[in-house]
Amino acid sequence: MKTLNRSLWIILAMGLSGVATAFGQVPDAPPVDFPYSGNRTAVWVVAQLHILFAAFILGAPIFAVVAEWLGFKNNDPKYDRLAKEVIKVTVILYSMTALTGGLFIFVLLGTYPDFSTWLIKHFFIVFAVIYPLLFILETIILYTYFYSWDSMKGSKKGRHIALGILLNIVGTVTLFVIDGPTSFMNTPAKAAGDLSLVEFIQTASLWDKMANFSWMPLNLHRLVGNVTFGGFIAGLIAAYMFMGSKTDEERSYYDWMGFVGNMIGVGALLLLPFMGYLLAYELCDYDASICPYMMADQLSMFFEMQGAMIGLIFLASNYYIWLSLKRIQGVEQVRISGFVAVVVLFMPAIMGFTWKMFPPPEWQSLIVLGVLVVLPVILSKIPGLKNFTVSAFTMIKIGFLMIVVADAIWMTPHGFVPTQGLATEEVELPSWAGELALMPAKNAAAFTLVFLTVVNYLLYNRAIKRGTIVWGKIDFASQFVLIFLAFSAIWTMGLMGAVRSLTRKYYHVYNLVPDFTPEAFTPTLAYSAWWITGVTIAFYAVVSFAILVTLKAGSPKPATSLASSVPVEAK
Amino acid sequence: MANQSFAKSVMKKTTLGVIIGVLLVIGAKFTHFPPVFQIMFFLYAMLGALVFILLDAPAMKRLEGVKAVGALVVFYLLLSGLYIAGASILPQFDPEDEKGKIEKVLKLRRAQTEQGKADELIARAKELDERAKAISKQLSSLGADVKVEVASTTSSSGSGAASGDLVALGKDQWELQECYNCHKLYGQGGKKRGPEMDNIGNLMTAEQLKEKIIDPKSWKAEGFDKDYEKGKMPDKYKDLMFPQEIDALVAFLVSLKDESVKTPKPIKMN
Repeated sequence: MKTLNRSLWIILAMGLSGVATAFGQVPDAPPVDFPYSGNRTAVWVVAQLHILFAAFILGAPIFAVVAEWLGFKNNDPKYDRLAKEVIKVTVILYSMTALTGGLFIFVLLGTYPDFSTWLIKHFFIVFAVIYPLLFILETIILYTYFYSWDSMKGSKKGRHIALGILLNIVGTVTLFVIDGPTSFMNTPAKAAGDLSLVEFIQTASLWDKMANFSWMPLNLHRLVGNVTFGGFIAGLIAAYMFMGSKTDEERSYYDWMGFVGNMIGVGALLLLPFMGYLLAYELCDYDASICPYMMADQLSMFFEMQGAMIGLIFLASNYYIWLSLKRIQGVEQVRISGFVAVVVLFMPAIMGFTWKMFPPPEWQSLIVLGVLVVLPVILSKIPGLKNFTVSAFTMIKIGFLMIVVADAIWMTPHGFVPTQGLATEEVELPSWAGELALMPAKNAAAFTLVFLTVVNYLLYNRAIKRGTIVWGKIDFASQFVLIFLAFSAIWTMGLMGAVRSLTRKYYHVYNLVPDFTPEAFTPTLAYSAWWITGVTIAFYAVVSFAILVTLKAGSPKPATSLASSVPVEAK
Repeated sequence: MANQSFAKSVMKKTTLGVIIGVLLVIGAKFTHFPPVFQIMFFLYAMLGALVFILLDAPAMKRLEGVKAVGALVVFYLLLSGLYIAGASILPQFDPEDEKGKIEKVLKLRRAQTEQGKADELIARAKELDERAKAISKQLSSLGADVKVEVASTTSSSGSGAASGDLVALGKDQWELQECYNCHKLYGQGGKKRGPEMDNIGNLMTAEQLKEKIIDPKSWKAEGFDKDYEKGKMPDKYKDLMFPQEIDALVAFLVSLKDESVKTPKPIKMN
C-alpha cells in the first residue's frame, strides 16, 4: 500500500510540474473533444469526483481527531477504534483524491488549454508551490498520524492527538488555499478606481485575487460541509459493518458508531443551511443579477430540487433519532414542556413575519428568535405551568408534522416554471400568497428544521440519561437510513456544486474570461441529475470497496477486548 | 398479529392523508392557488401520511449475505431512480433559448480574440470561394453574356444591425443584459429591485442614462434609496458592454416615453 501511494504521489507531482511546461511548449495544440459527454461534462464529472474524495479526506480527520480526543478524555477505547477505522479508510481514499486530482488537471488542460494556462499563470505560486507543498505536508502528517497510532499510546496519546490537530490545520489551510482560485472564478476581485476589470486583474496582487467576495463564505461552507460529509460517511461505514457483523459485540459497536457518525453529521448539517445562505448572500451582493439567475430563472428548479433533498435529509436524520429512541428502555417516562410543542407549531409563521420585517443582516430578528427559543424554558419554570408537558413520542410526532410543513414552505416556488419570464397565472402563486416564495419564508423553514432537530437530540439525550440504551438492538431499517443519508448528502453536494459553477454563466471567470465554446449554456436539471447520480454511484462504489478492503477483509480483529470496551447495555 | 395491526395502521393513515390532502386541495382552490399547487399540497399530505406510517412501522428483519447485498443494490437503484425522476418531473429550462442569446452577447468579444479573427477570416475565405465557384459555374453554363446574381452578405447578428436601427439594437441589449430582471418595462419583468422604465425617456437625457449605466452610483431613483445604498445595480456594464452596445441601449431607453407609467424621479448623486 505504501509503495502504491508513493507511486501515485510521484505521478501527481510529475503531472503538476510537467503539464504546464509541456503545454507551454505546444501552445497551438487544439483542445481535445470528449466523445458522448462533451468537454464541459467531462471536466464536471472529474472535478466533482475529486471534490467528493477531497471533502472526505478533509472532513474525516476532523471527525477522527474529535473521536480520538473523546476516547482519551473518557478513557473509552471504542472511540479510539472508531477514529482509527475512519482514518484507515481515509488513507485509502487519500490515494484516490490524488489520482482524481491529477486526472482533473489533465482533463482540464486537454479540454480548455487556453483558459487553464491563463488561470495557472494568475495563480502560479498557488498551483506550483503552495498547494503541492501543503499537499505533501498533509500526506506526511496523515501517514505519520496513521502509522504511529499503536506506538503513541498511553502517555504519548496527547502528542498523537496534537498530530491529528496539526493534520486538520494543514488540511483546512489547503482547502482555503485552493478555494482561492475556485472562488475567484465566481467572483473575481472588483476593479478599483477607473481601471477596467481586465486591466485591474492584470495588475492585481495574488492576495487581491485570493481574498475575493465569495472566498471566505465558500471556505466556511466547504469546511462545515466536509464535517457533515465525514460524519455521514462514518455512518455509512458503520451501516455496512453492522450489516456484515456476525456477533452481538460487533453489532453493538457498529450500532454505536452509526449513532456517533450520524450525530456529528447532523450536528454540522444544522449549520449548513446558514453557511449556504451566507455564500448565496455574498454572490448576490457581488452582482445582483446572479440572484435571479439562481433563484428565479435558469437555476430556479435546481433550488427546488435542493429543497426536496434537504427536506429528505432532515426527515431521515430525525427518523434515525426516532429509531434510536424506540430501543431505549424507559423512554415512555421522558417528557418535555408542552410550550416547546406550541412554539414549534407557530415558529414558521412567527419567524417568517419577523424576517420580513427585519431582513438579514438587521439584528432585531435575532431578539425574536432568542425569545422563541428561551420562552418554553422560562414558562416551564413557572408554578402552575410546570405540569403542562408532553411525552417524548408526542413531541417528536409533532416535530415530524412540522418538518413536513417546513419542507413544504421551503419547496414552494413562486411559479412552476423553468424561468420567471415564462410565468403565467396558471402556474404562479396567487398574489396574496407571494410571501411563501420569498427568502423570509425560506429562512423560517430552515430555522424550524434546525430547531426541531436540536429538540429531538435534547429529547434523546434526556432519554439516555433516564432510560437504558441497548446497543446493537436497533431496528435494522436504521442502517438503510444511514446509507440513505450518506447517498443523499453526496447527491446534494453534487447538485449544489453544479449550481455554484453554473452561476458563472457563460464565463470561465465571471464577467472576465468568456467561454466561447458551444457548451457554455445552462444544462437542464434532468441532464444534470443523470450525471450527478452517475458521479454519486461511482464515488459510492469506490468508498464501498475501500470499506470492504480495509475493514471487512483486510485487517485482523482489534486487540482490544470488545466485551469490556463496548457496553451491550449501558446507561 | 403485528402485521395485521400495521396493515390497519397503514390503512388508517393513508385514509387520513387522503382526507387532509383533499381538504387542502379544496382550501387551495377557494384561495385561488393554480392546479399545480393544489397537486403539490395533496402530495405533501401524502408525504405526511408516509412519514407517520414509517414512524409506527414494525422493526425490519435482519438481512444477511446475498440478501443484504441484493437489498442494498435495489435500494441504490431506487434512490438513483427517484432522484433522476424527481429532477426530470420539474419544469426544464430549454438551453436552446439561451444559446442564441449567448452567441449574440459574445459575438463582439469573440471577434476580438485571435481565434475569433482567424475564424472570421476562414469564414470569409469560404464565402468568397463559394461565390467564385457559383460565378464560374454560371459563366460556363450560360455563357459570358449573363447577369450574375450574387447573394448579398448580411451580418449574422441580424435584427437591425444591417438596417442601422439603433433602437432595435438597444432593445436587444435590454434582453441580452437581462435588464428585465430588475426593471419592469411594458408591464413585464422586474422584481421591484429597480424602477419601472416606461417613461425614463422623459426624465433623463441620453448622456445622463449613459452615465448611470457606466457608473451606477452616479444617479439614484426616488424611493430606491435602500437598493442604491446596497449598490444593487451591478457596476459591471462598463466592462461587459462595448461602447456601441451602450449607445444602442441608451437610444432604446431614451425612446421610452410612456407618461401613463409613473417612472420614479432620477436624483443626481455626487
